[in-house]
Amino acid sequence: MQKKFILLEGRGNLCVGIIALLLLVATSSFAQNAIKGKVSAKDGETLVGVNVAIKGTTRGTNTDANGTYKLDVPNGSTLVFSYIGYLTKEVAVGSQATIDVVLDVNDKTLNEIVVVGYGSQVKKEVTGAVQTITAKEIKDLPVSQIAQKLQGQVAGVQINQTTGRPGQGMNVRIRGQLSVSGGSEPLYVVDGFPITGNIGALNPDEIEDISILKDAASTSLYGSRAANGVVLITTKRGKSGQTNVSFNVFTGTQVVPKKGRFEMMDAVEFAQFKKEYYEDAKQPVPAEFQNPSIYEGKNNDWYDAVLRRAPLQSYNLTLTSNKDKVSTSLVAGVFNQEGVVINTKYQRYSLRLNSEYKVSDKVTIGMNIAPQYVFDNTPRTDGDRGTGILFNAIHTWPVMPIYDDKGDLTLFNRFPSSTGNIFAYPNWVRAANELVNETKQTNILSNAYVAYSPIKGLTLKSTFNVELLNQKFFFFNPSTATSAINTAVPVTAVSIRDATDNFGWLNENLATYSKSFNDHNIELLAGYTNQSFRSESSRIQADTYSDDRLPTIQGAINIARGGTSSNVQEWRLTSLLSRLSYNYKGKYLLTASIRRDGSSRFGSNNRWGTFPSLSAGWVVSDEDFMKNFSKVSFAKLRASLGVTGNNNIGNYTQYALINNTVNAVFGNNVAAGAALTSLANPNLGWETTRQLDLGFDLGFLNDRFQFTYDYYLKNTTNLLFAVQIPQESGFTNFNDNIGEIKFWGHEFSLNTRIIDRGKLKWSVNSNISFNRNRVIALADGIDRVYGLHHITKVGEPFGQFYGHLANGVYMNAEDLKNSPVVPGRSFVGTIKLVDVNGDGVITNGGDKDDRTILGNPFPDFTYGITTNLNYGNFDFSVVGSGSQGNQLWVRHLYSTANLDGVFNLHREVKYRFRSEANPGKGFYGTTVGGGTATGIERDWQNSRFVADASFFTIKNITVGYTFNKSNKLFRSARIYASIQQALVFTKYWGGSNPETSAQQNGQGDGGNLSPGVDLFNYPVPRTSTIGVNFNF
Amino acid sequence: MKKSIIFSIALSLGAFSCKTDEFLTVTPETALSSATFFKTESDFIQAVNAAYVPLRALHNGNSHLLAEQHSDNARYVRNVLFGATENQSNLADFNVPTANGITTNGNVLTAYRQNYLIIARTNQVLSLIDAATIPDATKKNVKGQALFLRALAYLEIARYFNRGPLQLTPVSARSEAAAALGTGEQLYAQIIKDATEAISLLPAKSAQEAGRATSGSARALLANVFMIQKKWTDAETQLRAIVTSGEYSLMPNYADAFSTSTGNKNTKESVFEVQYLEGSQGLNGTFLYGMLPYPMAANELVTITGTSNPQPLSGEGNNIPTPDLIEAYETGDKRKDATIGLITLSGALHANKTFPYAKKYAKPHSLHNNHGMNWPIYRYSEVLLFLAEALIEQNKLTEAVPFLNQVRTRAGLANTTAATQSALRDAVYQERRVELAFESKRLHDLVRTGRLATVIKAYGDRVKADKFRYYFPESGFVPSDAFTNITPYYGLPAAEADLSPNF
Repeated sequence: MQKKFILLEGRGNLCVGIIALLLLVATSSFAQNAIKGKVSAKDGETLVGVNVAIKGTTRGTNTDANGTYKLDVPNGSTLVFSYIGYLTKEVAVGSQATIDVVLDVNDKTLNEIVVVGYGSQVKKEVTGAVQTITAKEIKDLPVSQIAQKLQGQVAGVQINQTTGRPGQGMNVRIRGQLSVSGGSEPLYVVDGFPITGNIGALNPDEIEDISILKDAASTSLYGSRAANGVVLITTKRGKSGQTNVSFNVFTGTQVVPKKGRFEMMDAVEFAQFKKEYYEDAKQPVPAEFQNPSIYEGKNNDWYDAVLRRAPLQSYNLTLTSNKDKVSTSLVAGVFNQEGVVINTKYQRYSLRLNSEYKVSDKVTIGMNIAPQYVFDNTPRTDGDRGTGILFNAIHTWPVMPIYDDKGDLTLFNRFPSSTGNIFAYPNWVRAANELVNETKQTNILSNAYVAYSPIKGLTLKSTFNVELLNQKFFFFNPSTATSAINTAVPVTAVSIRDATDNFGWLNENLATYSKSFNDHNIELLAGYTNQSFRSESSRIQADTYSDDRLPTIQGAINIARGGTSSNVQEWRLTSLLSRLSYNYKGKYLLTASIRRDGSSRFGSNNRWGTFPSLSAGWVVSDEDFMKNFSKVSFAKLRASLGVTGNNNIGNYTQYALINNTVNAVFGNNVAAGAALTSLANPNLGWETTRQLDLGFDLGFLNDRFQFTYDYYLKNTTNLLFAVQIPQESGFTNFNDNIGEIKFWGHEFSLNTRIIDRGKLKWSVNSNISFNRNRVIALADGIDRVYGLHHITKVGEPFGQFYGHLANGVYMNAEDLKNSPVVPGRSFVGTIKLVDVNGDGVITNGGDKDDRTILGNPFPDFTYGITTNLNYGNFDFSVVGSGSQGNQLWVRHLYSTANLDGVFNLHREVKYRFRSEANPGKGFYGTTVGGGTATGIERDWQNSRFVADASFFTIKNITVGYTFNKSNKLFRSARIYASIQQALVFTKYWGGSNPETSAQQNGQGDGGNLSPGVDLFNYPVPRTSTIGVNFNF
Repeated sequence: MKKSIIFSIALSLGAFSCKTDEFLTVTPETALSSATFFKTESDFIQAVNAAYVPLRALHNGNSHLLAEQHSDNARYVRNVLFGATENQSNLADFNVPTANGITTNGNVLTAYRQNYLIIARTNQVLSLIDAATIPDATKKNVKGQALFLRALAYLEIARYFNRGPLQLTPVSARSEAAAALGTGEQLYAQIIKDATEAISLLPAKSAQEAGRATSGSARALLANVFMIQKKWTDAETQLRAIVTSGEYSLMPNYADAFSTSTGNKNTKESVFEVQYLEGSQGLNGTFLYGMLPYPMAANELVTITGTSNPQPLSGEGNNIPTPDLIEAYETGDKRKDATIGLITLSGALHANKTFPYAKKYAKPHSLHNNHGMNWPIYRYSEVLLFLAEALIEQNKLTEAVPFLNQVRTRAGLANTTAATQSALRDAVYQERRVELAFESKRLHDLVRTGRLATVIKAYGDRVKADKFRYYFPESGFVPSDAFTNITPYYGLPAAEADLSPNF
């Protein structure tokens, strides 16, 4: 046998991972006893499908419809009887031939099995910070994405819905992790496969449970990808001995509530503003605005015009079966959502088939395959002036007609320039209707595995996973519409086509060995894995169409070279991993793990990273001295320490790349040109995070009250940092691992079953988390890096809002005389900024800069609360999620409060400074003086853009009723009604979604260095649904 | 047996005799990396081609803001509905915010960065080309072009800042990124060295691909440096070499000295020009659109550009000819009509809705905001004027006059009447202003000849006295700090000062 392993080593191509361990042919024979018996509950009920396993092996069986089982068992073995909802029971096999077992109902959750990295553990014995959510807890939320369902559910995990675009925009941050230029999304692992694709597309109905791994001990087995935390998703399996068929359907409507929308002026108010603008400037008022009341009843609410009430439906058919040697589950789903912005459509057709076959007592093979098709068409809703229809809609003068006299949509609007109209405003309803912006995605996620147990306690498992994605994107801008402001229609028609093909595979070879002797329990895991991913994409941009009806490539007169490209992205990862768990009597727990990752992304001098961790736990409640504290049903102390990495550093960042499209022109000829565009760094590596976690779990009154606390301290060093270098070098930056950020925080969870009496049950689960960070170091000689409206500075928290402190307006000539001013640009009534450096002059940038830190996009704390109330067949639940102390940069205020009146204005601008006698609220300044005066307020970033975005949102309210009397049609059924995004409590005034942020890259709005920017994204609708769920 | 199983698993997992390194080496497929480049003849040609590229950005709106609008030749048309225009207006109003020799002006930053991009790309070529095994003729030509381009970039740095980091070798690590500041003198010494070597390596215009640097281009550049340094005899030598080369002559018609969007490029008169190509390749210019008065309706724009797909232009117009420049043309000067046009804008905020614009570059083209007109760097007429000036300064007046008159004759003007050295000097200055208007020469001429402070002070007084004449609408005003920062050189850019330990 050993020879076969040696054979493995010698063959290079085996690196890509052959299902090596299968080659093992180990036979070992032990004396066998045929055992049979019956399993029942305390009340005498027959238990069907109880898992009966020989301890330390994968061998076992299930009880049949009569609750009986039969199994050949080696002498001296122990049988383990486990069944969901019941306490697991172990019985030593002696000479008996019949073992009947009575299982006790488990009213504790501590014996639940928790999925952890590369295995599972009894919850009681977990030493890391892991939280599990089961599908049942989140089943009623009528949303398309898993992350939406997790909002408010997990301590230490902040999940923001940054946009209401169907299928998009969930921002998940575990323990506040962030990075200067790497990615900060957690690693998603579906059935053991760390996927690269979009988790948002996964059908939530396929999920059995989700484990969120937060501390380094739980995550370090994922090595260089673990620093952002890991989310393990397990899909549905057949339940022992049962066949279940269920059909879930819900249907509903989405609306954007009027309340909470950003308040813009209506036509009369806008005309009044314009009138006052000219009056204050002592200029004649243009005819259009002399009498604002002519716009009475003629308001054009452009934002409302692109919104609609929109339906959504979801259908899921689930079949699970686990009989004889075959376990199968099948989930077929259709999700169909029209969006609240006109012409938005999101559809998902998904199928998942998970099957497992027990070939023999020793060998199990299994296969999961999950194909999906997702169609998404969303007009260009999110973005700024160039692309955001919604952003542009609020800016459009409400005196401009949406429809012309004949009732047709206008093409675009433009008032005479004498009215101060400098932009052409395209018709956004037309843009939403006519622009095509669709993505079609087909993907397949699949796993196949073989598990083999040659001897008691040892399992060898080889897995091969494949991930395929084919995505086609098509954009067409016909000549009759555009998403860009300041564009007269007709425009040059443009099409963009993207095609992407991804292929990823992962081979894992794992061995686990467990052994118990004299109350010592040991489990050893060792594994060798290889993963590879390759993405090929191309883009063709064409323009100037002779006919909008034929947006083919050949229909275009011009292929735009600048927008046409092809690209390949590839990475590979080779890893070794090992974990040793030891416990004594399940009371003293110790786990050590290590992973070594070799990655193609890392520089040639720095190819391998090592990620160790150590954790310990002490189940204090199992100690004799705790017997006196009978109310304390459970107490465990936990501590862990470990190192993880973040390899989201780009695939080719280590290389000095030549851009060979830096073309020159000579005469009228193009001459190919090539230039170095980046510097090589063969030492480039992962970001390293060292994390300490200290926590405890407490249960009171037979675990009716369960409390968990965790403290963590993380230090992220070797930040992947494109260190800015002087551009006299010809380069903008050098990619290096440099700098340090410290993170720390506290997490509290309290799960309670307040009432549990007969028909009445009431439970409340709540959590609160405090996350903090501070930049300890950047590069030598560099103590700060700027974002768009942000600064990341040593000694301060990351990504703080940055600019001038606004201090009202200059109220009168004396105030102006006695205050520091912007030379040549400050007048009575203009914005007054604070002279931070005290030199008597307000300066923007340079050596006498007066800018300072203005606010923080990160919350003081986030919290969630979930409550379930059951009375007989009725159920009622509420999910709430909140965040306190976070601020947003109201990016659109740059133009929605542009005092020159070139755009429609925020309603509050009515209360601006008009004269000494009429100074308004002291927030917005005078319109007199034009851009020279008003430009400071608009263009010099200042504290007026910062708004408190604390919120508490009732994410979901559901009421249900269950019919559990079997009849000819179904075994049981439940009908429910739910409201998603029911209520938002917030003082945020910059828009309707306090969770929002733009999602650009790097220094751009919403990028790593510029978090928390409101660019007026797609609104998150309130969704009312009714659903029915049949079990057959 | 159990032990042996575990042992062998550990062994198999722990051993890396397999081709792990090969598996883990993934090189980019859609971009070349430095390891494989800079080997072949074609590599070096491509590398030097890329060094020309920043010239497009430098003259596509940047140089005319820094050297024309920042003079008495051009102004902006104030649009009071617009803010965020300080980067342009501060240049025209001579109130560029500068503290400790550092400025935050964005146009200054662009000029600095794009010139250093040329320097970095040429440094890359120059550091490797001597050792490369490529045909000798190519080696000389490529090296000559690289030296010329580096000299040209350093000349821009020297003229704008009179100091700057002296980068002469490629940067390959972060620690090498910042170089010590060189003085103006040190920069000029390097420029003279590079340009002199370039002259010896580069072919004459007739033997070089049109549009690339030639020995004549390098001589003009070198002469320009000598003019700045007032080394008149050295300048004369280089300029006479250009004149006697037989490679250059004036176009009979002044307007034809400037290319159209697709034709009339690199003419006999052209000594060196920046090449643009109209179309969707991204090689086009847009500078005409940055030199027009705004706001302009589509139907007005089309009369200048002739495009079929115009969009209205909103914002603030820049590089609008000043009344002073218009008045500088003598009666009968054909160059006036070729250089300056008039357009009436229905949407103008100004009561007088008719504005002048730089017609010199207003050539019809087909795509909106996308044209192929080249930007002149050195024209033969400037060579003649330089030569005249160099001779006048040496008091060789009779030798000088014919060169001056050659330029005047083409413009439809009579021979100069100036006779004394000082009168002729003024005549050459005047001639340069009108001949080279909007070619980003004015600021440099005022600085080079020591006239900046006087000329701009007087000009500033005129602007402050009559804002209406200088394109301010009634509700606009000349900033109170206008014309308070009249210095011959710009401060170094603040964004770079933040990163360099040397300034």
